Amino acid sequence: MKGAYRISVSTKRIKYDFTINRNITIIQGDSGTGKTTLVGLIRRFYEQGSKSGVKLECDRVCMPLGGRDWYKLLDGVHDTIVFIDEGNAFVKSNDFARAAKASDNYYVIVTREALGSLPISVNEIYGIRSNGKMAENVPVYNSMYRLYGEFAHSTEINPTLVITEDSNAGHDFFSEVCAPLGIACISAHGRDKITDYIYSRPGDAVLIIADGAAYGSKMRETCEYLKEFSNYVLYLPESFEWLLLASGILKERGLKDILKSPCKYIESSEFFSWERFFTHLLEKLTEETPVTTRYNKQGRLPPFFRRRGNIDKVLGQIPSIKFKDNSV
Amino acid sequence: MLKIYFGDMEEAIYNTSDYFDVVYEDAWITSTFAKAVIKDIDKSEVLSSHCIESPVLGQIPPVSLAGGTKTLLLMYFEPENIFNASTCGDNCAKWILEIAQIKDVTINLRHIMDFGREKPFGVEVMVLNSCQTVRDMSELLPQASRFLRENADEGCL
Repeated sequence: MKGAYRISVSTKRIKYDFTINRNITIIQGDSGTGKTTLVGLIRRFYEQGSKSGVKLECDRVCMPLGGRDWYKLLDGVHDTIVFIDEGNAFVKSNDFARAAKASDNYYVIVTREALGSLPISVNEIYGIRSNGKMAENVPVYNSMYRLYGEFAHSTEINPTLVITEDSNAGHDFFSEVCAPLGIACISAHGRDKITDYIYSRPGDAVLIIADGAAYGSKMRETCEYLKEFSNYVLYLPESFEWLLLASGILKERGLKDILKSPCKYIESSEFFSWERFFTHLLEKLTEETPVTTRYNKQGRLPPFFRRRGNIDKVLGQIPSIKFKDNSV
Repeated sequence: MLKIYFGDMEEAIYNTSDYFDVVYEDAWITSTFAKAVIKDIDKSEVLSSHCIESPVLGQIPPVSLAGGTKTLLLMYFEPENIFNASTCGDNCAKWILEIAQIKDVTINLRHIMDFGREKPFGVEVMVLNSCQTVRDMSELLPQASRFLRENADEGCL
């Protein structure tokens, strides 16, 4: 399945209106905000349609999923937006991750647990906010808001230390940027280890760079650490490959359109995460080029991307990070 | 005292909402504690043991209370059981600490709950995975982080 889907669910008393943008969406936040009520309405409409009294508008079928036989219920379900309420332990299992990966459905999961087996984007973790009752006899309107919206785009920083999730090309790139300026750039060797590097570093301004498209499962933990240490800033582009593609270094027809609305182009059954799509796209775009330009996720950063002009173009995408000021 | 076990825990009651629907007692709902929790978390008024006035949903039965509220009531009225407190949002944290001031409770956390940073917990909090006592979030965080990742148990259980 590809695309973004607006979902409007309402009764006489309550209304939810939100848009699902990719294959995995997480709903969490405070208790009492209406998460279970939402899944309950989806369930009522799925079972009885408009005769349930629930009004649901969406271009795809919205289906609730739960219980110990979840895998049987999921069998044969396609192009569907599947809602899973809190209390379903299977969402953390590798079996569920495999089933989700093999399917062409979108999943909306209510949970506070870190689901490390799923590629959760930091941009697709939502809370529910009530906008109140606009008038008598009008339902209370609930909308979703991005819980980590403020972290997805970095705040201003002149880093004295850079920590990258990546240990290959992404780390190569930022090492290339940092080395001449005397800024240390270290790799955490994967998202699971990033918080190991967050501890008291008085006098340092630390920039953490990770792939936002799959960092969602670590976001809660990371943000709790960042509450302890205010001299850390997160920068979470979709992925390093997205950053290279968005920089304009590669002139390819249609690329701008893809980057503007990735959900229109990314088939979830083919690419479990957007990170994988952008890697595939970059590798595809450079596969017929000389070896000095050819990109390989697992390899070192090709010399083409290390050229000063190209580095500047990439850094132009992240104006809030001031590397140059450090050279003064 | 509050004891916390981080990570998967076989003996913990995971789906607290379903469990509450079966075991809750009428007297729980009309207790002073329940009325205060329901007022705070659900923004609702208890009318009777069977009826709660919600500003959004109208009159609802106790089974329609928020998942976090149900878990708090279970902790309070069945402290001998261990419940999955990851069904509770951060707005339940102060209530968990309040329960722990008057009862010994053990909870299972599968995420990092923010118990607040303004002050020490005000109650003895022990991480069961390590058997270590922590005084505030800065001490709790590294342990939560480690044991949620490793699902390790080197402590009291």
